Amino acid sequence: MGESLLEMAETAGGMGVLFGRILVRLARLRFDGAEFLRSMYKMGVKSVPIVIVTALFTGGIMVIQAAPIVKRYGAQGLLGWGAGFGTLREIGPLLTALMLSGRVGANNTAELGTMVVTEQIDALRALAIDPISFLITPRFLAFILTLFLSTLYADALALLGAAYAGKGLLDVEPSVFYNGLTSGLLNFGDVAVGLIKSVVFGIIMALASCHFGLAVKGGAPGVGRAVNATVVASAAGIFVLDYFVSFGISG
Amino acid sequence: MIQIDRIEKSFGHNRVLREVSFEVPKGCLYGLIGPGASGKSVLLKITAGLIRPERGRIVVEAQDIFSMADIELQKFRANFGMLFQNYALFDYLTVYENIAFPLRRMTTMTEEQIRDRVADRLKRVQLPGFEDRMPSGLSGGQKKRIGVARATVMQAPYVLYDEPAAGLDPVTSQRIFNLLRDEQRAAGSTVIMVSSDIERLLTVTDRVGMLYKGRLIFDGTTEEAKGSQDPYVRQFVHGLVEGPL
Repeated sequence: MGESLLEMAETAGGMGVLFGRILVRLARLRFDGAEFLRSMYKMGVKSVPIVIVTALFTGGIMVIQAAPIVKRYGAQGLLGWGAGFGTLREIGPLLTALMLSGRVGANNTAELGTMVVTEQIDALRALAIDPISFLITPRFLAFILTLFLSTLYADALALLGAAYAGKGLLDVEPSVFYNGLTSGLLNFGDVAVGLIKSVVFGIIMALASCHFGLAVKGGAPGVGRAVNATVVASAAGIFVLDYFVSFGISG
Repeated sequence: MIQIDRIEKSFGHNRVLREVSFEVPKGCLYGLIGPGASGKSVLLKITAGLIRPERGRIVVEAQDIFSMADIELQKFRANFGMLFQNYALFDYLTVYENIAFPLRRMTTMTEEQIRDRVADRLKRVQLPGFEDRMPSGLSGGQKKRIGVARATVMQAPYVLYDEPAAGLDPVTSQRIFNLLRDEQRAAGSTVIMVSSDIERLLTVTDRVGMLYKGRLIFDGTTEEAKGSQDPYVRQFVHGLVEGPL
């Protein structure tokens, strides 16, 4: 138990130090633009298909689960609001983050870890290049931006999926769904809550994947352990931070 | 000159280097030899400032590199070219981009000048036309030669080679050693070269040092190394089966 706590403290400390080093470079605009664009393509553009599929089915699943209650209480008119409230404030950012944690976070850790064990990070330092400016800071930024933008269109697609499911299962017309969504029960604050969460999740996922990637020891098995650690730490971090952000915003 | 002064390094309980001291005069090609796990690669990385020792100094151009601030040390490393034991090529860049990488980062050369320099390097390591290949599509020997090309493209005043000819056939291996010696003579650079190919290494070195279990047990000229009567040095240099190693 004590050893686990020490390990967690060491990880948290390492991520904190890395965060500080990244912030210094961001403040001085010392990061590689080409690497940032490359990371945006790998993390963002190549994640579009999986985010689309996840989001559409997420919206549909929410309606499926809510259908019995909606039918019992005749709450078809509130379907749009319910789907919107759940998607924008919680489901959208949460599931998008979890999906990207597996796809982007794990991949980033594996790439960085492989660069460590094959001495590519040492080669950068030997070439008088700061790996934090060149590799890590661009990836950190790209991760957060990817999650933010992915959450935006995932929210829209989840609502689209919910609207289609509402029509198919509950015969709720798209116009009724839309009216429920824009009835005034939802406002920009609900959108902002979800986007704030996406940025917070992005930060924790980026720090976890970069920290574990750079800390790899022990060759190929070490890379595997690091990837596993990233996914676990990211998921745990997402849920913990989701609680605190939700609590902090709701009061 | 590179001055290595009482370097000590441990990893956990494993003492890898024990009070290692020697000097590499300016313009010298220094061969560092020794059995596996004797600390050669670690010493090379310490010399490049990539690993900090527990004790000791690395003095280059009268500056103790470990007393420099991180940013200062980072800039100072631009004076070094380095070939890593496992090539350390950047996987996501082509051969051309790998070799051009230091030129783009540290010089103001035009694209045409970079192209000419890269082509020259590839010709010198006998891999002309390999510009568009990816590292994953190369053999181990080819990766090693691309690594040599990248390490020498800047014509740095100090160059560190970790097994420059490992994985190469005997003819190519000797050509690479000759190339590195010719480069060193032309540029007047100061070189430390680690190699297990003792026979070929000693055809190009000026001075030799031998590490054994973390200690420097020999430091002298190439001729002195060949004629040494120290049983460890004699056995290793001449590849004898019988002996204390």
